[in-house]
Amino acid sequence: MKILVPLKRVADPDNANKVKIPAAGDKIETTGLEWKPNPFDEYALEAALRLTENGQTPKVRAGEVVVVTFGPKETEQTLRAALATGADRAIRIDTTDDKLDGDLVARALAALIEKEKPDVVVMGKQAVDGDSNQVGQILAELLDWPMATFAATIKEEAGALVVSREVDGGVATMRVKLPAIVTVDLRIVAPTSVYSTKTAATFKYNDGVRFAALPAIMAAKKKLLVEIKLADLAADQALKVEYKAFQAPPARKAGIKVKDVTELVTRLKNEAKVL
Amino acid sequence: MADQTNPLLDDRDLDFLLYDVLHAERLVELPDFADHERETFDLLLKTTRRFAREVLYPAYKPMDESPPVLANGRVTVHPMMHAIYPKLAELGLINASRPASVGGMSLPLTISTAAMAYLMAANLSAAGYAFLTTGAAHLIEAFGDEDLKATYMRPMYDGTWTGTMALTEPQAGSSLTDVKTAATPTDRGHFLIRGSKTFISGGDHDLTENIVNLVLARIDGAPPGIKGVSLFVVPRRRPTREGLVDNDVSTAGVIHKIGWRGLPSVILSFGEASDCHGYLLGEPHKGIGYMFQMMNEARILVGVSAAATASAAYHESVAYARVRPQGRSMKQRDPAAPQIPIIEHADVRRMLLRQKAIVEGALCLSLATSRYADLAFHGATPAARSHAALLLDLLTPVAKSFPAEKGFEANALSVQIHGGYGYSSEYLPEAWMRDQKLNTIHEGTTGIQSMDLLGRKAVAGGGAAIRALLEEITEAATRARTADVPVSWIDAVTGAGAAVAAITAELGAFALGGDVEKMMLHSVDYLELFSVLVIGWQWLQQAAAAREGLARQDGLGDFYEGKLCAAQYWIFTEIPRIPALAELCRSGEDSYGRMKPAWF
Ligand SMILES: Cc1cc2nc3c(=O)[nH]c(=O)nc-3n(C[C@H](O)[C@H](O)[C@H](O)COP(=O)(O)OP(=O)(O)OC[C@H]3O[C@@H](n4cnc5c(N)ncnc54)[C@H](O)[C@@H]3O)c2cc1C
Repeated sequence: MKILVPLKRVADPDNANKVKIPAAGDKIETTGLEWKPNPFDEYALEAALRLTENGQTPKVRAGEVVVVTFGPKETEQTLRAALATGADRAIRIDTTDDKLDGDLVARALAALIEKEKPDVVVMGKQAVDGDSNQVGQILAELLDWPMATFAATIKEEAGALVVSREVDGGVATMRVKLPAIVTVDLRIVAPTSVYSTKTAATFKYNDGVRFAALPAIMAAKKKLLVEIKLADLAADQALKVEYKAFQAPPARKAGIKVKDVTELVTRLKNEAKVL
Repeated sequence: MADQTNPLLDDRDLDFLLYDVLHAERLVELPDFADHERETFDLLLKTTRRFAREVLYPAYKPMDESPPVLANGRVTVHPMMHAIYPKLAELGLINASRPASVGGMSLPLTISTAAMAYLMAANLSAAGYAFLTTGAAHLIEAFGDEDLKATYMRPMYDGTWTGTMALTEPQAGSSLTDVKTAATPTDRGHFLIRGSKTFISGGDHDLTENIVNLVLARIDGAPPGIKGVSLFVVPRRRPTREGLVDNDVSTAGVIHKIGWRGLPSVILSFGEASDCHGYLLGEPHKGIGYMFQMMNEARILVGVSAAATASAAYHESVAYARVRPQGRSMKQRDPAAPQIPIIEHADVRRMLLRQKAIVEGALCLSLATSRYADLAFHGATPAARSHAALLLDLLTPVAKSFPAEKGFEANALSVQIHGGYGYSSEYLPEAWMRDQKLNTIHEGTTGIQSMDLLGRKAVAGGGAAIRALLEEITEAATRARTADVPVSWIDAVTGAGAAVAAITAELGAFALGGDVEKMMLHSVDYLELFSVLVIGWQWLQQAAAAREGLARQDGLGDFYEGKLCAAQYWIFTEIPRIPALAELCRSGEDSYGRMKPAWF
């Protein structure tokens, strides 16, 4: 099985050097930000690796995982990290962060998929910066492929994937024929969430995404990483989404102590307006 | 209650120390490190950081609470350690700094030290299984024949087996010349080992199928003293054609420890059934010499573990001080006004800044010393290598003892900042304080380090080592001047350098005049004043790098201001103590010199 995994780097929310909005309010200040991979994309990569190996120790690769990202040269670090974790090959689509929206990313990916012809695209359900939750869906539409979003488990069957999705009040299970788009949710990295046809049903993965072993980091330097110009994939680079203004959320007010229950109820009613 | 958001070590600080202060990225210009680039260093550090925080740290408290148990002659370790160990081995840090010829990746020690610091800050005991194995396997790599390397070093470096250093005996602790464990030659190549070792960390556990002990012992008829001690490879189970068989190594007891409670330290008994095979490493009677050649790295690692342990506690206390409301500002007279977080009290900030100055000073020294180790072995020219070797030898006793001694003080301050809660085992600072204490004891006590520094290192080469140190300080001062660090700060450090050189010469003169006892009477005070200078030098470099950062206006202003305050703190509260300590050494103040055992 050949799997394409799109990766996006996002500003590290834990970093002390928090995201800043310049006075004009028209963009996010990106200089000095520290980056990390979008966590849902890391889950997607983990799921893709599990689908392309046999689950034994030492693991044997059985398939190919190609990772792709959009961005300037420095985003290659995100790709190298993915190669060190086990991805086989990487593609960087050269552009800058502020010249992208979900639509353009989906169109460029669709063009790339025409060339790469993966059996499945496994991707994060959304990026934690913009929280747009669109690229997977737009991409499925453009390719006219079946899609399963918010996957919590994936089981490979001949020519198809059985995907369960967590929905309100239960789990919806669906079978998608390949090629297909799957977007994943947090639970996909639980120990028994993903099974390829080669992995024994009794096998349990370590919880969470795997660590790149240090020697693999060195080996990753020798793996193939190619650069493609965005223009080669999308002639029309016009953005459909225009960001008008950015605003920091209002600072949280300090808590107060109330005298008694009556005051609590009054305040909940009149100030918090939750009653 | 553990603060799960405790970063253990500040990533920004590690980057600052490695790249802004020490320019570690330049190490890749050396042929032996040419396979690396800063990007691989960063990826490596990222991986170990995550591993430390996500895998090791959650197990720290549970492992502290339920130490290993000895039952039916074998030690069982915490179940969480069983889950951790295979991942720890797979991570590949055990042999990362070793060359490719032995399966490693030639990672500079500077970087592997930084990576190891994360593991140690997260869970000292868990990290211990790895670094003990590295140390033991490295000895086999350096002095073993091909057979020993293939049989023992390989499976140790890949984590299949673990290793120990089995040196200490009841009558031979600080004084290893007194080891009694006996080795009797046989005509089949191996020796028969008989004796007992105590406090052997990692000496028994149920994580791997085998444990390889490096044992100091005397070959029958060996000359007495240091020149009669040899080093042996003594596996728990020895490989035979039929597979691993029992090698007559047994566990006579497990030490009940106040810290490092996830790592068993045991009493080992060798040859109770006269069937314990030992394999001589290198030549007979050279064991202590071999040990000494590996001493620098082992001692640097103790210093790193001390800095890391103090760092975890420091971050815990900063977070606590921000959220614990207590009291009001001196200006606030209204008792109804809300209480303020204790970090608003200057005295709490004193305790925090002291911890910061100790922790980040110690980390900087650990990394700087590791860098000298890299340069001593891989430097571009023979001159560069010998210069670095001189500094490595000189700084090692400080890099070992300063983080341990002052780290303990920093750990106590973290308890203090937590007030009564700090004295409760619900909170972590007391556990780190217990862990820390070992670092002033093992790998040579502080007293032993002080004698090594004053009696050997500081007077080495007729003062060549001290001159090399002064050159480094001069270089740091030049950088600081260019970066606009206040002149008074620079003068304080360079002045202290001159004062330390002077007192070293004076103490050396006592010995030349035949009074070694007077020279050595205040060796611990000398170690202290020397350490204050060395850490002052680290802070001068950090101040320079911080000023350079401020000039770049890269958005990290708060970080650099914090660095400058810590530098100022060290330079103006610690450096002034040097003359008084020097006076103690010079005067030979003899209260304890004169004190007779009977007078206690
Ligand atoms: C938790 C733990 C783990 C350990 N792990 C290992 C291990 O894995 N392998 C191993 O081989 N050992 C290990 N040790 C042993 C450790 O290295 C020794 O405890 C240490 O070397 C000190 O020896 P000692 O305990 O016999 O103390 P002693 O040597 O008896 O020292 C007692 C005191 O006397 C002082 N003193 C001793 N000699 C002199 C002198 N000549 N001049 C001035 N002062 C002196 C010391 O500074 C110290 O304060 C471990 C110890 C502990 C507690």
